[in-house]
Amino acid sequence: MKREILKVTGLNKSFGGLHATRDLDFVLSEGDLDAIIGPNGAGKSTLFNLLTGYYRPDSGTILFNEEDITGRLPHEITRLGISRAFQVSNIFSKLTIFDNVRSSVQAQMGMAFSLFRSADGLGNEQTEEILTLCGLLEKRGNIAGALSQGDKKKLELAIALAGKPTLLLLDEPTAGMSLEETQDTMALVDNLNRERNITILFTEHDLSVVFNHARKIALLHSGQIMVQGTPDQVRMNETAQKIYFGEHY
Amino acid sequence: MPNTTREVAATKATAKYNWFGARSGRAGLSAPVLAVLTPLALLAPWVGGEFLTVVGVEILVLGLFAVSFNLIYGYMGQISFGQAAFFGLGAYATALVCRACQATGEIGYLQFFFALFLAIPVSALGALVVGFFLVRLTGIYFAILSLAFGELLFYIVFSWYGFTGGDDGIQGILSPPFFRDPVNYYYFTLGVVAAALLVLWRITQSPFGYTLRMLRDNQRRAAFVGIDVRRAMLVNFVIAGIFAGIAGSLWAPFQRSVSPSLLGWVQSGAPVFMTLIGGADYFTGPLVGSVIYTALNAYVTRYTVFWPLTIGSIILVIVLFFPGGILSLIDERISGKSRSVQDFSKSEAPESITDGAIK
Repeated sequence: MKREILKVTGLNKSFGGLHATRDLDFVLSEGDLDAIIGPNGAGKSTLFNLLTGYYRPDSGTILFNEEDITGRLPHEITRLGISRAFQVSNIFSKLTIFDNVRSSVQAQMGMAFSLFRSADGLGNEQTEEILTLCGLLEKRGNIAGALSQGDKKKLELAIALAGKPTLLLLDEPTAGMSLEETQDTMALVDNLNRERNITILFTEHDLSVVFNHARKIALLHSGQIMVQGTPDQVRMNETAQKIYFGEHY
Repeated sequence: MPNTTREVAATKATAKYNWFGARSGRAGLSAPVLAVLTPLALLAPWVGGEFLTVVGVEILVLGLFAVSFNLIYGYMGQISFGQAAFFGLGAYATALVCRACQATGEIGYLQFFFALFLAIPVSALGALVVGFFLVRLTGIYFAILSLAFGELLFYIVFSWYGFTGGDDGIQGILSPPFFRDPVNYYYFTLGVVAAALLVLWRITQSPFGYTLRMLRDNQRRAAFVGIDVRRAMLVNFVIAGIFAGIAGSLWAPFQRSVSPSLLGWVQSGAPVFMTLIGGADYFTGPLVGSVIYTALNAYVTRYTVFWPLTIGSIILVIVLFFPGGILSLIDERISGKSRSVQDFSKSEAPESITDGAIK
């Protein structure tokens, strides 16, 4: 039995009358590469927002490495080793690609409040390594806001990696990417999981990506996990077919 | 608008970066601007006589004030309409100590330096208290609350006759004999402002400087790379307040008087105008703005009482036709680039107020 890196128990979150997350229990083991799927409005983004501290849960607990992180602030959770890449790229649009990543690396190094050191000498190697991994090294001098949609998504992932995460949450990492970019990105995701032992949880609408890359899949519906298991188990599950695959397959 | 090849060269040459980052090319247009301004500043009293010496002190002091404002506007992406409160607190701190020392005869040099120095803790404390509330807000709410706090501090100084002299202000502040000579005071101011600008430049090139740029571009994401956003905003607000306070402290003995209007919203408007004229995207933009604004003010008010009309027309032209300020106009001419990239990045960044990247 592998160690539990993330353990969510009885998580609830409502927005007015909408019960977006409902008594949700979820466990992620160290080294997992798992996916969360579900129809629009199932609560995938809400779950990510709860895990990373952007929303405060109404009730329930979130344990990360056996530490209670329920109700902590996003920057505190990030510093503990949970990084997040957003569905709609969420970058620093007036900085260069290089500065986007290096400033994030410096924040990870705890240098965000360093007033009198030169930023130019800090974290360059790690930045270059991340840019190489994400295939952005040659465009390092480009202004982030002027990039193509695909490159923005790559930068999105690069910024998340700058946090040296042990748990990486990817919200639709290939949305808006070409077929080739999708393959490159998912190859990178596999590589990060295998070679660097980063536990990864991702959401994705493209089911071929999900079934080719995820080792376990959880199906979220109306804020609850309806089915959880290996790709084959989920594919064969009747409930899953009824509420989700029916409209897709 | 950073030049791509230059940025690539800059990052490749990181092994050779020097203390001020000048060799790495990050100074951008600010390097030639300083190369032009520095000899002018050094020679001004010799060339321009007493009139230019007096105007020169104003340019330097208000320039430092405007650069401190731009730390909040150009770097952090928030606009403060109450920055004069800290300028005024610095000026009053110095003036009050000077008055106390003068009560027992002529002020000594040590006492005078202490009076100047006291502006730092006083303005820092003021900015800490105001900032505690301000950093909870962004955008228009930040701007309006900064205005409200500025007016609040103005009103306290305005009404507290027993301590601040109320609307009479404090008159007859005399510096020690050496500093009464305008040329001496000019060079003293030049030295202090130059030192302050070096520290400010250093801060803008530090990891914290880049933290500010991240806050400007995308506050939400900054939190998700591990930055305590409110704390970063507060630290920056206090730094900006301190340097505004230093500028104010230099102002008091030079004018030999202080009045509550130093804290008011008209005074808060000056750095906003200067920054818009010069260019918020450049470290030296507010300095260039101060040269233009202050020199114009000095000459125009000699001939006409319509100064607000004059500066209003200039601002109108700048905002309508060169929204990036004068330096951005020059930068585009040199690099031969259109503003298309800048406009694009502007449309991509709804959370931010400024456009273009800080050099």
